[in-house]
Amino acid sequence: MSEQPGLPEEEVTLQTIKELGQVELPPTSPGAEVQPYHCLTIIGQIEGHMVLPPRNKTTKYEHVIPQLVAIEQNPKIKGLLVVLNTVGGDIEAGLAIAEMLKTMTTPTVSLVLGGGHSIGAPIAVAADYSVISATATMTIHPIRLSGLVIGVPQTYEYLDKMQDRVIRFIVEHSRVSTDVLRDMMFRTGELVRDVGTVLVGEEAVRVGLIDEVGGVGTALSRLSQLVSQRSIEGPVGGMQ
Amino acid sequence: MLYTVVPLEDVLEGIDQEPTPTFELTIGGLLMEVEPQGDFAAKVVRIISSNPQDYLVENCQPGSIVRWT
Repeated sequence: MSEQPGLPEEEVTLQTIKELGQVELPPTSPGAEVQPYHCLTIIGQIEGHMVLPPRNKTTKYEHVIPQLVAIEQNPKIKGLLVVLNTVGGDIEAGLAIAEMLKTMTTPTVSLVLGGGHSIGAPIAVAADYSVISATATMTIHPIRLSGLVIGVPQTYEYLDKMQDRVIRFIVEHSRVSTDVLRDMMFRTGELVRDVGTVLVGEEAVRVGLIDEVGGVGTALSRLSQLVSQRSIEGPVGGMQ
Repeated sequence: MLYTVVPLEDVLEGIDQEPTPTFELTIGGLLMEVEPQGDFAAKVVRIISSNPQDYLVENCQPGSIVRWT
C-alpha cells in the first residue's frame, strides 16, 4: 500500500502501523486459561440502532451478541453470570440479548444489582435462574414516546404492540402473570411523575419476576448447581 | 425505540455534536474500528469479525485503549 498524499496525519500514522507497527499487547495471549465461568455486564443504556451521545454509558448489543455466541460455542466455558445494572434502552437490542440468553444451552444466571429497569427486566428473566440484590430496584412502566402527543390511533396501536412483545417475553420466562404485570405497568400513585411500579429486591421475588434475593455468592452457587446438573443430564437443546 | 427510565432529553443530550472520526485498524489479525487517541494509541469502538471468539479477546473490548510502539 503506497502512502496516499493529503491524508490527515493521524491516518498516515495508523496506516504505518498497519504495515510496520508492533503492538504492545497482543490481542490473543496464547495459552491463556479459559475461565469456566464468564461474567457479562449489562450496564447503563442498552444501545440499539442509534449510537447514543458519549455521555451515556452503554452496552453495545453488536458486541454482546457475538460474545454470547462465543460463550455458547466454547466447550471450556461452563456457565455465564449476567450482571445487570441498567436503566433500560433500545427495545429491539434488549429483546435480542434476552432471546439470545434464553436460547443458550450454557447455563446462565442473572444478578440484578443496583437497577434492572425497563428493558432490563426481560434480560433479567431470560437467564435460567435470576437473583436480585436486596437493595436493587426494577421499574416496570409502559413504553412511551416522551414529549409526543399520541393523536393517531395507529401510533397507539404500534406502541401497544411493542409493549405486548415485552410483556409476553417476561410472562413466558418468569412466574409473573400477564394480569399482574399489566397492573404493575399501569399503576398510578407509585411513581411521582409517571405510571408504573418500582420493585425493590424482595418485592421482585414476591411478584414472581425474579427467583431469589441474594448477591454474587448466591448467583455463583446457583450457577455451579446448574452446571453440575447439566453435566449429569448431558447437553439439552436450547431451541424449545 | 427506547424503553428506559431516563428522560429522553437526558439520553439524547449532545446528539447534535459531530462524532469523533474513526478508522479501521488491523492488530494481530483482528480488524477493529478505532478512535485515534494521540500518536501511539487508539480506543476500540468495535470489532469487525465473523469469528465469535474474537469478541472475547480481553485487550480489544470496546472502550479499551490499544497502544503500539
